[in-house]
Amino acid sequence: MASRPIVSGNDNRKNPKFSLPSVCVYFETPCFVGDLFELVKMAMEITQFLLAAQSADAKVRTEAETNLRQFQEQNMPVFLLSLSVELSNEGKPVESRRLAGIVLKNSLDAKDAIRKEQLVQQWMAIDVSIKSQIKDFLLKTLGSSVSEARHTSAQAIAKVASIEIPRKQWPELIGSLLNYMTQQEKPASLKQATLETLGYVCEEISHQDLVQDEVNAVLTAVVQGMNLADHGPEVRLAATKALYNALEFAQTNFENEMERNYIMKVICDTAMSKEVEIRQAAFECLVAIASAYYEVLEPYMQTLFQLTSNAVKGDEETVALQAIEFWSSICDEEIELQEFESPESGDSGPPHSFFIEKALSSLVPLLLETLLKQEEDQDQDDTIWNISMAGGTCLGLVARTVGDAIVPLVMPFVEANIVKPDWRCREASTYAFGSILEGPTVEKLSPLVQAGLEFLLNAMKDGNNHVKDTTAWTLSRIFELLHCPANDFSVISPENLKRVLGVLLEGIKDAPNVAEKVCGAIYYLVQGYEDAGPSSSLLSPYLTEIISCLIATADRTDGGDSKLRSSAYETLNEVVRCSNTAETASIIAQLLPVIMNKLSLTMEIQIVSSDDREKQGDLQASLCGVLQVIIQKLSSTDETKPIILQAADQIMLLFLKVFGCRSSTVHEEAMLAIGALAYATGSQFEKYMPEFYKYLEMGLQNFEEYQVCGITVGVVGDICRALDDKILPYCDGIMGLLLKDLASSELHRAVKPPIFSCFGDIALAIGEHFEKYVPYALPMMQGAAEICAKIETSDDEMMDYGNQLRRSIFEAYSGILQGFKTVKPEAMVPYAQHLLKFIELVSRDSQRDESVTKAAVAVMGDLADALGSNIKVMLKESAFYDEFLGECLQSDDEQLKETAGWTQGMIRRVLVL
Amino acid sequence: MADDSLASHRRDPIKSSVGNVAAQRRRQNAATVGKERRESLVRAKRLCRVGATGEGDVLVEENHMMTDEEGFLLEDQTSSAVKELKSAVVYQGKGAMQKRVNALRELRRLLSKSEFPPVEAALKAGAIPLLVQCLSFGSPDEQLLEAAWCLTNIAAGKPEETKALLPALPLLIAHLGEKSSLPVAEQCAWALGNVAGEGEELRKVLLSQGALPPLARMVLPNKGSTVRTAAWALSNLIKGPDPKAATELIKVDGVLDAILRHLRKSDEELATEVAWVVVYLSALSNFATGVLVKSDALQPLVERLATSNSLQLLIPVLRSLGNLVAGDSHTTSTVLIPGHEITDGVIKVLVKCLKSDHRVLKKEASWVLSNIAAGSIEHKQLIYSSEAVPLLLRLLSTAPFDIRKEVAYVLGNLCVAPATGEGKPDLIKENLVSLVQRGCLSGFIDLVRSADIEAARLGLQFTELVLRGMPNGDGPKLVEQEDGIDAMERYQFHENEDLRNMANGLVDKYFGEDYGVNE
Repeated sequence: MASRPIVSGNDNRKNPKFSLPSVCVYFETPCFVGDLFELVKMAMEITQFLLAAQSADAKVRTEAETNLRQFQEQNMPVFLLSLSVELSNEGKPVESRRLAGIVLKNSLDAKDAIRKEQLVQQWMAIDVSIKSQIKDFLLKTLGSSVSEARHTSAQAIAKVASIEIPRKQWPELIGSLLNYMTQQEKPASLKQATLETLGYVCEEISHQDLVQDEVNAVLTAVVQGMNLADHGPEVRLAATKALYNALEFAQTNFENEMERNYIMKVICDTAMSKEVEIRQAAFECLVAIASAYYEVLEPYMQTLFQLTSNAVKGDEETVALQAIEFWSSICDEEIELQEFESPESGDSGPPHSFFIEKALSSLVPLLLETLLKQEEDQDQDDTIWNISMAGGTCLGLVARTVGDAIVPLVMPFVEANIVKPDWRCREASTYAFGSILEGPTVEKLSPLVQAGLEFLLNAMKDGNNHVKDTTAWTLSRIFELLHCPANDFSVISPENLKRVLGVLLEGIKDAPNVAEKVCGAIYYLVQGYEDAGPSSSLLSPYLTEIISCLIATADRTDGGDSKLRSSAYETLNEVVRCSNTAETASIIAQLLPVIMNKLSLTMEIQIVSSDDREKQGDLQASLCGVLQVIIQKLSSTDETKPIILQAADQIMLLFLKVFGCRSSTVHEEAMLAIGALAYATGSQFEKYMPEFYKYLEMGLQNFEEYQVCGITVGVVGDICRALDDKILPYCDGIMGLLLKDLASSELHRAVKPPIFSCFGDIALAIGEHFEKYVPYALPMMQGAAEICAKIETSDDEMMDYGNQLRRSIFEAYSGILQGFKTVKPEAMVPYAQHLLKFIELVSRDSQRDESVTKAAVAVMGDLADALGSNIKVMLKESAFYDEFLGECLQSDDEQLKETAGWTQGMIRRVLVL
Repeated sequence: MADDSLASHRRDPIKSSVGNVAAQRRRQNAATVGKERRESLVRAKRLCRVGATGEGDVLVEENHMMTDEEGFLLEDQTSSAVKELKSAVVYQGKGAMQKRVNALRELRRLLSKSEFPPVEAALKAGAIPLLVQCLSFGSPDEQLLEAAWCLTNIAAGKPEETKALLPALPLLIAHLGEKSSLPVAEQCAWALGNVAGEGEELRKVLLSQGALPPLARMVLPNKGSTVRTAAWALSNLIKGPDPKAATELIKVDGVLDAILRHLRKSDEELATEVAWVVVYLSALSNFATGVLVKSDALQPLVERLATSNSLQLLIPVLRSLGNLVAGDSHTTSTVLIPGHEITDGVIKVLVKCLKSDHRVLKKEASWVLSNIAAGSIEHKQLIYSSEAVPLLLRLLSTAPFDIRKEVAYVLGNLCVAPATGEGKPDLIKENLVSLVQRGCLSGFIDLVRSADIEAARLGLQFTELVLRGMPNGDGPKLVEQEDGIDAMERYQFHENEDLRNMANGLVDKYFGEDYGVNE
C-alpha cells in the first residue's frame, strides 16, 4: 500500500476546442460609400412603400410588403437606418412614419425566444456607426410635434435599450433622456414622450442593468413629472404611466423607508387628481404595488383604505374598478402566502400581514354595497365588467382569504335582501351568497346551504331574469364546492336528487342566459358522481332524460349566438364522461348514432356567407367534441370497445368530411377526436392514414392558428402509439414538417415543447429508423437546451415555458435513446456529453419544476441504459449526479423515487461494466 | 411591451359560464391522456431491457430525405463566401484590401454563427489555401485576425477538418512572434490550441515546427486574455504522452517564474489555465516536477485551494498538488515535513476538499492523502490526528465506489508502517485497533466484494491486517461478524490467481478446521 503513481492529467480537461462566440465584434467599420448610395435610394422610395403597405387594396399591400422585404434582405443595416430616418422626418406623412417605427421596433424583438435571439444577434452585428445614427434619429423623434411619431419612437428606443443596456452598449441613453426632463425650456410634448420612453425602458430592462444612481435619477425624474405644481396634465399622466412601468424597477427604493414614503405620498396625491385619467393611472400603480410590494404596505393601509373606499363609493367607474382591483390583488397575495405556508416551518417565507382580515369588517360592507349597482342587461353579455361584477369577484377572493370569518358578515345582508321586492336586492343577496361558497369550511357552510337550498330551488321561478340567472349560478357553485359523493359528502341527499334535477331540467327551458347557467349547474352536479362508486348509480335512472334535455337545449334557436349550444354540449360531454359505464353503456351507445347523424347533417347546411360557414364550423366543433368523449368513454372498457370499432369506418368518414369543409375550429376538434379514435382502433388505424395524412400535414402547417398545430402534434403522438412502426412510411413527411415548425419564427412558442415530446413519440415508434433524423433533430434539441439556460427567471410565464421546454427536450432524448437502445445506441454517443451537461445544468436549478426533475432523472437512466459502457468515462467525470439522485431518492413522490432508483441501478451497471 | 391602454388589466369574473371552461378542460384532458400513455410506454421500455448493448450493424441510409433549410442555407452562404474570398484574393484594383477584409469577415461570421459551423462546406469550397494566403507576412492586422479566426473555428471541427489546417500551421506559428499585434497573436494561439487539442500526431507536428517557445513567451506578461489563451493552448500542446514538451517548456526562460506568479496573483480564470499547464507538467515530466517542487510551487497551490470556491480552478490545482506529491518522493520527505507550516496547510485544504460537495474533489483529495499517508510514521500520525479521519470514515461507508476506494488507500496506509523490504508490512497497531473500533472494517469487506480487482485486493490486504493484528486474536471474530468469510469465499474459484490465493490463504489460515473450537 505504498505511494501510487500519478493520476493521469488527461481527464477532466475541458473541451479543448473553442469556438468564438458570434457576438465578438472586433472592428468597427464606418458606413461605406456604397451603403450611403443605397441609403439615399431607399430613403427616397421607402415612404411610398410604407404607405402602400397600409392600403386597403390587398394587391397593392402585398406588393409593397414584398418591396419592403427586398430592401430588408438587400441591406438590413441600411434598411433599419432608413426606417429611423423616415420616422424622424417631420416632412413625411404620419402614416408612413408610424409604420416605419413599428417595422423598426419589430425588427428588434419577437415573442418567440428563438426568433428574438436571432433579431438580437442581427442588431448586434450591425456596424456601430449605423446603430448610433439610428439611435440618434430615434431620440430626436421624441421631440416631434406628431404624437404618434413620438409614441412609436419611445417604443423603439425601449427595444434597442433592452438589447444594448444589459450589454453596456448604450450607457448614454439614460443621461440623454434625463437631460430632456431637466431642461425647463423643453416643450411638454417632449417631456411627455420622454417619460413614456423611460417607462417602456424600465419595463424592458432589469434594474440590475443600471447602477443605482441611474435608477434613482430615473425614478426622481418620473416622480417629479407627477408633480402638480410643475407640469400640465399630459406630462403628469405620462409620468404616472411611466411610474407604473418603473415600479418593478424601484425595488431598492422601496426598501428605503424615506424614499418609499415619498413615492407612496406622490401616488396617493395623484390618486386624487382632478383628471379622471390620471386618477385611474395612479390607482393602477397602487394595484401593481399591492402585488409587488405587499410586504411593506402596512404603514399605508389606513390611507389606502380611505382612498380606495372613497373611490369605490363615489368615483367614476374606471377608477372605482381599479380601487376594487387593489383589494383583489391584496387577496391574491395573501392567498398565495397561505398556499405556500408550510405547516411544519412557520418561520420561512415572506410575512403575512393579514390586511384582509384586519380590514374585513369595513371591507365586506363596502363590497356588498357594490353588488347593488347592477346594470339592466349585464347577464346577456359575457364581456361586461362593471362594479357589481368586480365587487362580487373581490368578495369571492376575500372569502378564500379569510374563510369562515366572512360568513357572519355576509349572511345578514343575504337574509335582509333575499325577500325584498326590488329585484336588485334579491339578485345582490343571491350573488353575495354564491360568492362566498369557496373558502369557508364545509362545516360552516353546509347548514346554511342545507337551509337555503329549497329557497334557491324555488327562486328558479322568480319573476326576474337576473335573479334566476344568479340563482342558477349559485346552484352550480354549490354543486361544484359542496357536492362530492365520491368522498361521501354532499348537500344533496339521494332523496332530494329527483327534486333538484326536476328544477334544473325545468329551468333549462328558461331564457337563454338562465339556461346556460343551468347547464353549469348540471355540469357540476354530474361531475360530483365521477368515480363515486355506488353513488354514481344514483344518476343512472335520470340519464336518458338529462341527455335528451341537453340535446333539446343545444337545438334551441333562440340563443342568439352559439354560447348556449356549446354550453349544452359541453355539459352533455361531462354527463357522458362521468356516468357509470357499466349501467349506462347502452344509453351512450344509442347517443353515438344520434350525434353522428347530427354531424352528417351539418354538411348539408347551405353556405352563403362567411357567417354561415362560421356557424357550421362551430356546430361541427361541438359535435366532434361529443364524439371525442363518447369514443374515449366507450373504448375504455373491453366490453364497450367493439361499439366504437364497429362504427370506426363511418366515424372516420365523417371526420374526413368535416376536414373537407375546411373550417379551422372544426379542424381542431375533429383532430382531437381522431386522436381518441386512433387510440381505440390501435394498429387498425393504418387503413385511414392514406386519406388522413394530408390533413395531418395541413394541421402541422397551420402556423397562424397555433392551437390547431399544437393539437395536431399531439395527435401525431397518439398515432405513433397506435401504429408503432407502421407509421414509418409517413415519418419523412411528418419529421420534415415538425422541423420546419421548430425553425419557424411565426409559430407560437407554446407549440414547440410538444414538438420535442413528439420526436420522442416518433423515435419510440420507429426505433432505429429514427437515426436518419438525428443530424437534424438533435441540433434543434441542443439549441433549445441552450435557450432554456438563457430564460429570464424573474418572469413566471417564461419560467413555466422554460420548464415545459426542458421537460419536452428530455422526453425527446428519452424516446430516442430508448428507441435506439437495442440496435443503434452508438448513434447517440456524440450527443451524450451535451445531454449530460444539460441535465447537470437543470439539476443545479433549484427552481425547477418537479415534472422536469422526473424527466431529467429518467433521461439520465435512459442514457446509461442505452449507451452503456460508451459513456462510462463521461459518467465518471460527472460530479453532479450523485447529489441529484440523492435528492430524488429522498422525494415524497413514489414515482420519482422509483425512477431515481432505476436510474441509479443503470448508472451502477455502466460503471462496473 | 405594455399595450397602449394600461386598463387592459382585468380579471375573470367569478360569475362565468361553463362552456369555455369545460371545453378548455376537455382539451387539457386529452393532452393529459396522451402524456400518461407516453409515460407508461416509456416506463415499459425501461423495465424490459434487452441484453447489454446490441452491436448489430444497421446500414446507414445515405438519403437526403429532407431539407433542413437553415443548415443548407448556411452551407450555401458559406460556399459563396469562400467564392467571394477567392475573387477578393486575386483582385488587385482599388480597395483590394478592404474587399479582402470584407470577404474574410463574412466567412468568419458564417463560421462563428452557429454551434455547428459549416466547416465542411468551407473546406469543400477550398477555404484553406485562401486563408493561408491571407496570413502572408505584411498583411494588415485586420486581415490576419479575421483569417486566424476563420481557421480557429475550422480547427474546432471534426478530426479530419482540424487536420486540414496543416498548411496553415507555419504561418500561424510565425504570427505568434513579438512583431505581431496582441490580438493577432492571441487569435493564432487560439487556432493552434485547437489544433493541439486534436491529438498526439498534430501536437508532434506543432512541436517540430517550433510552436512551443513563442507560445511560452506569451504567458510571461502579468495579465490579459492573451496570456490566458496562450496558457490554454500550451496546456493542450504539452499533453504528451511524450514528456519532452513538458520538460522543454519548464526550461524556457521565465516560464517557471510566470507560472508561479500567475498561480499566486492572477485572476481565477487565468489561474485555472495555468493550473492545467502545471497538471501536465507534473503528470508527464519528472524534471518539471522536481523543478516545481524545489521552487515552492506547493505554497501557491495550497493558497488557491484555501481561498477559491471555483470548481473549475480547484480541480486542476488539486490535481497539480497531487501530482507533485505522488511524482517526487522528495516532496513528502523534505517539503511536507510534519510540523512545518506548509504541511499543516496542505492537510487543511485537503480536509476542505473532503468536505466539499464535489465528487472529483473528494476523490482526488483522498488520493493525495493516500500518497502522503504512504510516507513516514510522522506523516501517518499527522493525518491520523487530523480532522480528516472522521470524514474519511464517513466517506468509506457512504460515498460512491471510486471515492471509497481512494479513502480505503488512505486508511490502509495509516495502519501499516513504511515498507522496509520484502514480506508483509509491519502494523501500526494502535491505529488499526482504533479505526476498526470506529467501524471501518465493513467498508473494507464491501471492497472485497467489489468486482474491481484493485479494490478487492485492497480489501483483502486490510482484512489480512485485521486478522493478523487485532489483539487477543479478535480479528477472525470481527471479520466473521462483518460477513467477511462469505466475501472471501467468493474467491474460491476466482480467475485472478493472485486474489484467489490471497483469499483462500486467509480463509485456510484463520478459519480453518480449528476455528471456533476454543469457544
